[in-house]
Amino acid sequence: MASWKELLLALALVGPFTSAGPVAAADAPQAGAPADILISRQLMRDAHLGVGAVVVLATDAEGTRTARFRVAGVYEPVPDPMKFNVKRFEARLHLPDLVALTADPGDPQALESVTAINVALVDPAAAARVAADVSRRSMGVTVRPVARARDDDPFAALDGFHKAIAAVTVVGSTAFLLALMVIRAEERREMVGMLRLVGVPSGSIVRAILIEGLVVAVAGAAFGVALGVAGQYGINRFFQARYDTPLLFVRVTASIAIRCLAVAVPVGVLTGAVASWTLLRRPPTEVMGR
Amino acid sequence: MSGFALARRTAVRYPARTCLAVLGVAVIAALNFDMLLLSRGLLLSFADMLGGAGYDVRVMGGGGVPAIRFPIHDAAALADAIRRLPQVGDVARVRLDQVSAAGPRSGPEQAVTLIGASLDAAHPIWTITAGRSLPVDEQGAPPSVVLGRSLAAALGAEPGMLVRLRAGDRDGRSLLPAIACRVVGVADFSLESARALTAAVSLDTFQAVQGGGASDEADLVLVASAPEVGPDAATAAVARLRPGLHVYSNAALVEQFNRNGFAYFRQMSLVLSTTTATFTCLLVAVLLTVSVNQRLGQIAALRAIGISRQHVAAMLLWESALLVGVGGAVALPIGGVLARALDDILRRMPNLPERLHFFVFEPRAVVLHAALLAATAVVAAAYPIWLAVRLPIAPTLRREVVS
Repeated sequence: MASWKELLLALALVGPFTSAGPVAAADAPQAGAPADILISRQLMRDAHLGVGAVVVLATDAEGTRTARFRVAGVYEPVPDPMKFNVKRFEARLHLPDLVALTADPGDPQALESVTAINVALVDPAAAARVAADVSRRSMGVTVRPVARARDDDPFAALDGFHKAIAAVTVVGSTAFLLALMVIRAEERREMVGMLRLVGVPSGSIVRAILIEGLVVAVAGAAFGVALGVAGQYGINRFFQARYDTPLLFVRVTASIAIRCLAVAVPVGVLTGAVASWTLLRRPPTEVMGR
Repeated sequence: MSGFALARRTAVRYPARTCLAVLGVAVIAALNFDMLLLSRGLLLSFADMLGGAGYDVRVMGGGGVPAIRFPIHDAAALADAIRRLPQVGDVARVRLDQVSAAGPRSGPEQAVTLIGASLDAAHPIWTITAGRSLPVDEQGAPPSVVLGRSLAAALGAEPGMLVRLRAGDRDGRSLLPAIACRVVGVADFSLESARALTAAVSLDTFQAVQGGGASDEADLVLVASAPEVGPDAATAAVARLRPGLHVYSNAALVEQFNRNGFAYFRQMSLVLSTTTATFTCLLVAVLLTVSVNQRLGQIAALRAIGISRQHVAAMLLWESALLVGVGGAVALPIGGVLARALDDILRRMPNLPERLHFFVFEPRAVVLHAALLAATAVVAAAYPIWLAVRLPIAPTLRREVVS
């Protein structure tokens, strides 16, 4: 990763820190005074800057074109999952200040140029139509709606990946629960054989075992959800500290908890059914080993 | 009878539970194995992809902000200077831009990434799958173009046909005329995604599509180091030629990728490996504990007839090792199939190079897989062994008889 010194705008501190309070970036500078800028929290911390400090921004590391600015405040960059592992060393300038600093002096149109224009529509659903309209009327401008189609969303693939892993885990858990239920059934062979001999209907035995399987599966799922809820705090704190971002990496929602329980119910019923089948498929005396 | 023989007999005596436990271990261990493949897969694949074209040093005009391109000026002179370095074997200049392309049949224009490449390099940066690579263009004849497979399919073009390339995007806003080019080949571009529409032409044709002029710029200069000195020496020598350029060896790019782009998958792999290993350990421990509780009388009887504590402990350790070992062995082929499926899912991410894979097999992963499973077997057997060796013989036997 490029260090902040290597970013497009190289930054060098030239003035001592002052203890001035936060100042709105929109405040108009006095004539001759440095213009105001905002500095991201991460840059403010790592460059040991403070509000009121005067800094020099340069267009390259050699400092060929520079301008002085006063740090008017600090801001938290908008959390972006696409940039979670990128150090957010950023500064926000008034557009005229940025253009004056970076525009090519040999290009008369440079002072009138911007890289992008963001547009918020009254009706977001009309984004494609508006993009096509503007595109037709403006030579040399590329117009794109910012909303991503599902095919173009990298997080859709990650979502599918996580679901696939969850499915594999469910298959493994089902096998283990089955093994556990079969062991429990074997443990109770004699008792079940006796119950059948004294006339307890098979249906009652099946129900008892099904309920046991269901209780184990649902209790396991509930414990898993509780563990997830407890774990999300630690995981989020760890990754937020690791990547210095307020992004949430794990969030257990009600929908996830419900889905978890919804998967547990059929798994419990299935394992209970298989366990009861091992006890009921043979005559009671054989089940008792007589 | 040895501990292994006793464990084997126990496993055979309870086939259903043994099979289910092995299946459970196999599925979870397969996931664990896949996470080991994922832990370095992207990195290995990226390194392989970078090295695939035969160039091991990259020269760029700027670094740090990939979205902003910094063209290299006086690129021809720079390439000549680089070529003269004793540390260098081959040099290629590359230019990139978005253009639109129309095929020989009527149909919509396609937005295309156009690559302009110098033809004096020994290694082309694409692999020809049909036709041939770019020749030197003849005077008066239409210039040559190599199409990526996806673009050839989208335009319905084959070698020998004419396509038209035009500056600007497909919405028809460019005033520059389209250039008719003859398709000489269809190729795979290793750094392009499967869906990307890509075409390659000579630098002269690239310039003509852009409207002519005498621009001598490159977006990228690729350098193959001389085999006897290696990429590090070549990187240092090229960097000395012109200060301000960003010169990276493939190894440095891979290291940079390892620190930044790959972090998410490496950490996900670490978290899931730990979780699945813990899960396997916990479940095998539960199964063995329940199984030991069921066989308390049997174990007390073995102890009563003179079988030592160590022998009983060895039996349980072998039982754990059999479940985990057989499950772990079965996990390898299951893991292979699962890795392909998971790779297919992740490779649906947009703009991913066609040759980039997330799960890449390496022997190191099998060794790690075996070591993790061995540790799992030992830890999972610890509690059941503790239960069994502390079993009071007489009270247990009495309880068995009374019950």
